Amino acid sequence: MNNNVDINLEHVTRVEGHGNIVLNVRKSKIEKLQWQVSEAPRFFEAMLRGRDYSELRTITSRICGICSIGHSLTSLKATEDALDIKISEQTAMLRRLALNAENMQSHILHIGYLAAPDLFGVGSVFPLVGSKNQDALLKIVKLHRLSNEMSDLVCGRTTHPIRLIVGGFSAIPTVKQLSNLRQRLKDDLKTTKEVANVLNSVVGNFPDFERETEYIGLSSNEEYAFYDGVIASTDTGRHANNKDYKSLMDEYVVPHSTAKHAKHKRDSYMVGALARFNLNSKQLHPIAKEVAKLFKLKAINYNPFMNNIAQLVEFVHNIEDSMLLIDRLINEGVKEEKPVVFKLKAGRGIGVAEVPRGILVHDYTLDEKGKCVKANCVIPTNQNHANIQKDMEEMVPQIIDKPRKEIELNLEMLVRAYDPCISCSTHYLDVKFV
Amino acid sequence: MKPRVAFFDFSSCEGCQLQIANLEEEILDLIEIVDVVSFREVMKEHSDEYDIAIIEGSIMRPMDEKRLRKIRRNAKILVALGACATIGGINKIRNQWSAEEVKKEVYGDADIKDNEFFDAFQTKALNEVVPVDYYIHGCPINRDEFKQVITALALGKKPEIPNYPVCVECKKNENVCLFELGKFCLGPITRAGCNAICPTNGSPCDGCRGILKKPQIECVMDILEKYDLTYEEMKSRCTLYNTSSFNPKDGMTFVRRKSNE
Amino acid sequence: MTKSDSKVVKIITKKDLISFVDSLIKDNTHEIVGVKAKGERFVFGPLENARELRLDYDFTILPPKKYFLPQYENLMGFNLKKPFDVKENEEKESRIIIGVHPYDIIALDQTDKLYLDSQKDDFYKKRRENTIIIGVDVQKVSERSFAASMKTNITESGFDLMLTNLEGKYAITIGSEKGKQLLAKYAKTAAATELDIKKIKAVRKHIASQYTKKVKIDKKEWPSVLVANYDHPIWDKKSDECLECSSCTMVCPTCFCYDVKEEVSLNLKDGKRVRTWDGCLLQDFTKIGSGEVFRGDIKERYRHRFFRKGNYLPERYGFIACVGCGRCGTACLPDIADPCDVINELSHFERSDDTSRFFIKEKTEIKDKGIIHIPRVATLKRKEKLTSMEMLFEIELDDNKPLNHKPGQFVEVSIFGIGEAPISVSSAPSKSPSFEIVVRKVGNVTLKLFEMSVGDKLGIRGPFGNGFNVKNLEKKHILFTSGGLGIAPMRSLINHVLDKDNRKKFKDITILYGSKCPDDILFMDEIEEWKKVDDVQCELTVDQCAEGECWTGCTGLITTLFPRIRLDKYDSKNTIAVVIGPPVMYKFVIQCLLTLGIPEENIFVSLERRMKCGVGKCGHCQINGVYVCKEGPVFNYSQIKNLPEAFE
Repeated sequence: MNNNVDINLEHVTRVEGHGNIVLNVRKSKIEKLQWQVSEAPRFFEAMLRGRDYSELRTITSRICGICSIGHSLTSLKATEDALDIKISEQTAMLRRLALNAENMQSHILHIGYLAAPDLFGVGSVFPLVGSKNQDALLKIVKLHRLSNEMSDLVCGRTTHPIRLIVGGFSAIPTVKQLSNLRQRLKDDLKTTKEVANVLNSVVGNFPDFERETEYIGLSSNEEYAFYDGVIASTDTGRHANNKDYKSLMDEYVVPHSTAKHAKHKRDSYMVGALARFNLNSKQLHPIAKEVAKLFKLKAINYNPFMNNIAQLVEFVHNIEDSMLLIDRLINEGVKEEKPVVFKLKAGRGIGVAEVPRGILVHDYTLDEKGKCVKANCVIPTNQNHANIQKDMEEMVPQIIDKPRKEIELNLEMLVRAYDPCISCSTHYLDVKFV
Repeated sequence: MKPRVAFFDFSSCEGCQLQIANLEEEILDLIEIVDVVSFREVMKEHSDEYDIAIIEGSIMRPMDEKRLRKIRRNAKILVALGACATIGGINKIRNQWSAEEVKKEVYGDADIKDNEFFDAFQTKALNEVVPVDYYIHGCPINRDEFKQVITALALGKKPEIPNYPVCVECKKNENVCLFELGKFCLGPITRAGCNAICPTNGSPCDGCRGILKKPQIECVMDILEKYDLTYEEMKSRCTLYNTSSFNPKDGMTFVRRKSNE
Repeated sequence: MTKSDSKVVKIITKKDLISFVDSLIKDNTHEIVGVKAKGERFVFGPLENARELRLDYDFTILPPKKYFLPQYENLMGFNLKKPFDVKENEEKESRIIIGVHPYDIIALDQTDKLYLDSQKDDFYKKRRENTIIIGVDVQKVSERSFAASMKTNITESGFDLMLTNLEGKYAITIGSEKGKQLLAKYAKTAAATELDIKKIKAVRKHIASQYTKKVKIDKKEWPSVLVANYDHPIWDKKSDECLECSSCTMVCPTCFCYDVKEEVSLNLKDGKRVRTWDGCLLQDFTKIGSGEVFRGDIKERYRHRFFRKGNYLPERYGFIACVGCGRCGTACLPDIADPCDVINELSHFERSDDTSRFFIKEKTEIKDKGIIHIPRVATLKRKEKLTSMEMLFEIELDDNKPLNHKPGQFVEVSIFGIGEAPISVSSAPSKSPSFEIVVRKVGNVTLKLFEMSVGDKLGIRGPFGNGFNVKNLEKKHILFTSGGLGIAPMRSLINHVLDKDNRKKFKDITILYGSKCPDDILFMDEIEEWKKVDDVQCELTVDQCAEGECWTGCTGLITTLFPRIRLDKYDSKNTIAVVIGPPVMYKFVIQCLLTLGIPEENIFVSLERRMKCGVGKCGHCQINGVYVCKEGPVFNYSQIKNLPEAFE
């Protein structure tokens, strides 16, 4: 019987950003259990104040290094919504390709480098070098390289993309480059399946934990939604209007966290790969569905650790989706297009998209000169913090009698399973500029 | 003996550290030539004994300054990684307003006094707090440049970074000059070493690598008129990454030579 | 009869021209490169099909020099774990370039003179041999080009084939056997008629008349205009606007200065030496290891480019190194780079007949030594600490051959993975396979040298430079004046002269040597030996001596030693003076020498600049029009005294 336990994990490792886990148990009763976000607030809303519409996506891209493409695209959607800009079909396809690439890059980084070491019982990927699992590691690296080079090709640079601009692209790939990419994607599907098999052999090392909660994400009739869709919830179904996202995503300040928390109908909800899977699994492409089946992943799954597996399933889906997009692009011909011409005007625009860690909203108000006067963003990880807290509160009593090291590990693994992007979540708030 | 390397991050997007993961298979080479003793983003292990500290991010709070000073004491060599660390980067945009103003705007009346998490001051680049030995510029860094700096340090030689404008690399890439396309590019006063990646992709240089030691700002300002661009725009562009204040002691100011402004 | 009449001309229809190019592409034995559109501009690039070819272009962003001197080029690869496993880069590509304008062809011929001289650059040579040039007469004149007034809008040679657009069909002038065979194999052509030949002339005349930009004087007059106006206010005025971005040199077809950098892979095993374009407008172009910069002011760098093109290269090779393509005028944002504008403005002012004023008339022909880039293997035989900052190294070439150097020459010392540094040879010429260098640790290479152990391998290129012509010193008195590290190369000459087999060839010898402080004095023991030789006087001085330091010699600058020279024995007209020291020393010492009555032509100096290639190609070591690595580092004062950049 563990009477007293004190856990103070400062700066949890293998997550993006700085967060602490604090647990104090006295006489087997939880006195304090907190998921603290200690990341320095960077005041992004201050940074957007008064800046030109053309700079907004450059600045918001720097909210996060891993999901920079996602921020850029959502930012562009909001800006284009405010300025009434309709992008071309080709631009939309290329942007979907970019989002696929980013999703792949982020997911494989998370699964391979951040989460998998726990499954293999090591502190990082480095000990895997020279071990019997070196082959699996090299395959993961190969897939990571593929995703990055795909992002490089479509966006000009995988971190902080260059080619994504208001109304279109500043440069586009050639047909030859796209067909080379398609061949690589096809070849690496095989590699992905091999990695899936290896992970399947150790997936049992994830705790068997469940807690019912709400899942929120984008939903669309056309496809497994990433780039476009309507906000939807597993509790309340499709939301009436994306522009009214605030009635769904209620953010509030918490003293032990520089990042805000969010709730809807319940105390918390979850966004991300698992949420998307729970909402849209029927729309996955065939091989992705096979992989889900391999892991016995079915909607609705309430185990947050399975977010990792949902990411793997999405990775496969992204490959299949990209191959279809490239086929269409090559078929219809890739043209040199100038960005859409438009007139500056005052207005408000909302951009919503699914980025690797969940649903992201950018909300801008521009004045008649195209300068930003008001900005708000709802970051995926902000929407997960409360859920992490609630999961911890549910899970700790179940493992309270285990050795301290094991409790620590389980708590860390729980946080990691969410693939939090803590830098992003610090700190976005509804601000009025005068 | 292999040099011991530790990675740290402060206020940043972690995109520069991500570039190290983006070395792909070459990461295996990296861990062969140096001993990575701390890298929070990808490993659990940590040690306070290291020779080279590589740091990403800006300093925003007293608690961050304290942590940085401790690292400087532990390390023989300190390398600033990325624009946030080398020149302040995007994080410096908010320095236009005082810390108090910003906090009030952002947190309103929420009770954050005496909470060290929220105790932010004006953003500082690393060299405004401690001496920095080497700089790896860019937002994000250029992986090739990172490799060059690490191999130089592992070979025991001083890394050399370019001291000429982005234009040199842009011309070598045979790009159409963005000025000709009516865009305003900070290339002529920005340090090269990124292989002119933004102009090569059709986007003007935003100065994320910081200004040259002896930039020809006044000459660029003369050109602005010729291409129908405004001095205001140039000033504004230089505040995006804090391009102009690479050396805070020099206090770069934009004063026109010709008095017809 | 003009020359072009003696070349065979064929006619090809536009349709057949397209088939010709498509056949070349399909054949796949060469890489087919041609002019194609890039946005609104044009570039040379690989052709996927003939329809991409745009022979109607005005000018390309970069000239075809990128195919002969690439922006980034691997010179050699090495393996750090096996220090002398150096592989020279094999240049195997063969190429056909389609659409080269006459002025670019002329520029390539000019480049040949530099790169295929007595110290041939093998990489360039192979590329020239492996490339077929299909030129095209200008069809659309660029606004900024002044090629017609430079007479570079037409060329009679330098191409394998030359196309001329004759409305509806093309004339092809055959310029070489290669060109003839290419046509025979892939193209359907007909013989040209007399009318066609006349049409070619007419087309060329018509295009020549389209040039709006003209240079007002004959290009032969450029040198005289420039030399007369070396100090004209135009250089200040224009360079005031200069961005120091060197865009002008990057896009110029007759600019070919380069830098060499070491690149090592992350595995610390594989490395390569990479050559890349450099520009003389850049701030660090002349910077040496100790941090000194020789052409620091932008006015000097800005002016240097015009003089190099309009005076220095013409003196050396006989051509004006500008072909009027107009690229620099377009690339320069503040619009100050255009030679046409500068020359036109200066043409109103004086001329000068003395066009070789900034040049050294005496040219030294250097024998072809073969491969110029790859170092020879050598072993470190001995290390001797001289002071806290200086060390002597004895190096032996592994092939056991002597270095065969002259006193005053230098070598380029390579440490793979770290870099290469130019260092004077400090030992006298000898038949032994080893030689000595004295190194001060100032940068990466020198610091690494200090850390090396006996038995370690390094690379040696050279010897380079002209060295002292010892015959000049025979039957004369000699006055050696060394300051600081200047004693190191001076020692090579002194030991040679004092050698028992040589001593009697020379008369009285005086050695003056100044150092910063007693601890900095090098070769004290040897100096004592020198004093013992017949009719040798040695005087030492230090700038300052700290309290308590044991020093019985003089204190004061080196000029304070001159009164100690035994003037009664001296016949200043029959004395040769040799001076080597830090740049600041020369002015003062030479003044002393002239006061002593030593004629200017009896004074020799050794000047240091940034030496990189050692063979007069990379451009870094120039003092006005003179290559320090070829015409120097040893100079006769009477020849160099009028070079404004010699003594700063």
